[in-house]
Amino acid sequence: MNPSVELLFHYQLVGALLFGIGVVGFLSRRNQIVLFLSVEMMLQGAAVSLVGWGRYHQDWGGQVLILVSITIAACEAAVGLALILMLEHRRGSLDLALWCRLHEDDLPDAAPDPSEEDLAPPEIDWPRLPTAGLLPETPPEDEYRDHV
Amino acid sequence: MSEWISLVILIPALPLVGSIVTALVGRRLGERVGLPVIVALVGSSCASIALVVEMVRAMATESAGESSLGFERILTVGSWIAVDARPIGVALRADPLTAVMLTVVSLVSLLVAIYSTGYLRDDPGRPRYFAFIGLFAFSMTMLVSVSNFLLLYLFWEWVGLCSYLLIGYWYQKPSAAAAAKKAFLTTRLGDLGLLIGLFLIWMQFGTFDFHDTLVEGKVVAQGIFGLSRLSAAAPYAGTWMVTTICLLMTWAAMGKSAQFPLHVWLPDAMEGPSPVSALIHAATMVTAGVYLIARSAPLFAASGSAGLVVAVIGAISATGAALVALTQTDMKRVLAYSTISQLGYMFMAVGLASSTGVASGMFHLVTHAFFKALLFLAAGNVLVATGHVLDLRRFGGLRHRLPATCVMFGIGALGLAGLFPLAGFWSKEPILMALSARASQGGPEGAVWLVCYLLAFLMTFVTAFYIARVYFVTFFGPYRMPDESKATKPESCRAMTVPLGVLASATVLIGVALKPTGWFDRFLAQTPTLACLAPEEPFHAGLMVELVGTAVVLAGILLAAFLYLRPNRLLDVLSQMMRRLGLYQLSQGKFFVDELFYALVVGPLLRVAAWSGWFDDRVVDRSADEVGRAAGRLGGLLRLTQNGVVSFYALAMMVGLVALLMVIW
Repeated sequence: MNPSVELLFHYQLVGALLFGIGVVGFLSRRNQIVLFLSVEMMLQGAAVSLVGWGRYHQDWGGQVLILVSITIAACEAAVGLALILMLEHRRGSLDLALWCRLHEDDLPDAAPDPSEEDLAPPEIDWPRLPTAGLLPETPPEDEYRDHV
Repeated sequence: MSEWISLVILIPALPLVGSIVTALVGRRLGERVGLPVIVALVGSSCASIALVVEMVRAMATESAGESSLGFERILTVGSWIAVDARPIGVALRADPLTAVMLTVVSLVSLLVAIYSTGYLRDDPGRPRYFAFIGLFAFSMTMLVSVSNFLLLYLFWEWVGLCSYLLIGYWYQKPSAAAAAKKAFLTTRLGDLGLLIGLFLIWMQFGTFDFHDTLVEGKVVAQGIFGLSRLSAAAPYAGTWMVTTICLLMTWAAMGKSAQFPLHVWLPDAMEGPSPVSALIHAATMVTAGVYLIARSAPLFAASGSAGLVVAVIGAISATGAALVALTQTDMKRVLAYSTISQLGYMFMAVGLASSTGVASGMFHLVTHAFFKALLFLAAGNVLVATGHVLDLRRFGGLRHRLPATCVMFGIGALGLAGLFPLAGFWSKEPILMALSARASQGGPEGAVWLVCYLLAFLMTFVTAFYIARVYFVTFFGPYRMPDESKATKPESCRAMTVPLGVLASATVLIGVALKPTGWFDRFLAQTPTLACLAPEEPFHAGLMVELVGTAVVLAGILLAAFLYLRPNRLLDVLSQMMRRLGLYQLSQGKFFVDELFYALVVGPLLRVAAWSGWFDDRVVDRSADEVGRAAGRLGGLLRLTQNGVVSFYALAMMVGLVALLMVIW
């Protein structure tokens, strides 16, 4: 394999990984800020790919394009974060699943609204630390073992 | 001799200007809203009389030199359209027949317009009313003065429109609106005949013009009633075609002149104001049919049998309407049926298609215009006094309350009855005479003419009886007034009595002035279309017919006086007998022509309309709706993707990206 092609392949591999992780994060997470970070990660994946191509062609074009895309990403961050802030103010939560009633009134609900469900955490008997300042309860001594 | 040009233009133009002025500034004129139209009609009337005078003078100077085919002047105003390079010109004509009609129309319009200022003094719609009256006077004067069948048809429809507008003048009243609609539709049914007739005329003659088109004194296109054609030996070839044209014209005339069986609109048209009934539905518009037949007399003379049809229809109408008028209790309806009956007389006369027949019919038209307008306007006075109650059973003995109206109505009634020496006598007797002359010629047609003559003769008795009945019931007997009359004044204002006086003096005088002197006949005979008819030897059945006729009329009046002047037991016995025979119900029910129309025409039409309504609703509309709904349903499927879950949108975005990439690859 030609060394420059090999280098290109590595660039593309890293770019694709970054992009793929971004996609997975974008599709699987519910926190809006994490979603936003995933989008940024996809952008960076694309940027890495562009650097690789620029290098392969011995051309500055790829990197120039990245400078442009970074500018755009800055703008996107300003708008996106402001949007997320407003959404958080509206619902008091960053959970994306809360925004599932944007459809027209006469269409059926496609997903359950978490805010309508009982948000109390399920009862699980987690082990607890003892209350400070009190002796832990101990079994009666006659039940102690002879040997440790 | 160039004055006549300005005269024939002024006569129709003045009312049109008056109408437009009233329509534009009528609301600002306040009390004087009728002024523009009245001034215009004064101008028109003077112009009409001046036209007659001018014409008589021209005839006197001309008769020495030219041949005897009468007098006509054509004024070509311009060209309207050209079909197959044959121009259809806008031409006005001046001949005695037109001049007579113009004089009657403008004079009666003027008197009625003056009367209307009083009759509708407090009516809020007066600007509209006077604008329509002016428009009507324009249309009617144009109808009788155009020299072209197509323009005649145009103004034929215009007067129908004016009639519709004025019958429905009180359009808030459902009955008036329905009557207007009925009148319009029924006359339209007749007008269809004229329209088809026009097609046939175009096919047969290749022109619509009455007159010859001259270029440098030479005939370049023969008109239908042009002098060059009329002076030929046999001017009309293809008799069956001519007969068809004549029958179609007769159909149109039946619609306009309210002859059986198209008469049903006229009694209902009485829903309009009384002056409108006097002007349009007694004196002028309804005579348009008679004018049409009189104008086309050479065609009817050529066809022969068409004239007989006209006369038979006239006889049926004259008889049936007179019999119906016997028992009607609505004052204006009696007068309406009387109008139908008198128009029947005119039809019989012009159906003769001879010079004496047409002359007597036209003279009856003139006298009828005056005495029937008088009767209607007098009836209007009665209605004002009774608070617009029409039912004869609810008022009576008004002679002290309305002394002037009582006298005027009496003169009108005697004029209608045809008592010597009032107008009706001088116009009805010549009709009877002409009919009997034709009947005496024998043959199978002679028998039909004899029946017409006998019916016409009998109906003079019935006419005298029914009009005397109305007169005596209204003005004599015990005084009785409906409750609605509380707020009315004792006698009407001067604007309403002066026109009555003029009409009454006309009713007394025109018969004596125009007929025994022979002036009218001589004048009218100068019309080219009448001058060409075969001359007849003067027929006079002798004084006997006139004496018997007068005796019959007197008998009718005296019988009515005997039965109605004071409560009479014989009347009850008679009406009981008639009731038992069913004759009374037949007359009261107007021979059930309306019901017949409903069963034969209106009912089936309504059923067809219901079917097509169903078809439109269930088939046409439904399919259009379904196409629309299908598009909506398709859109509904796509709408499901807009499910409002943000995560789904993110997924869709990714899927879309992948799909896009795969496509590019």
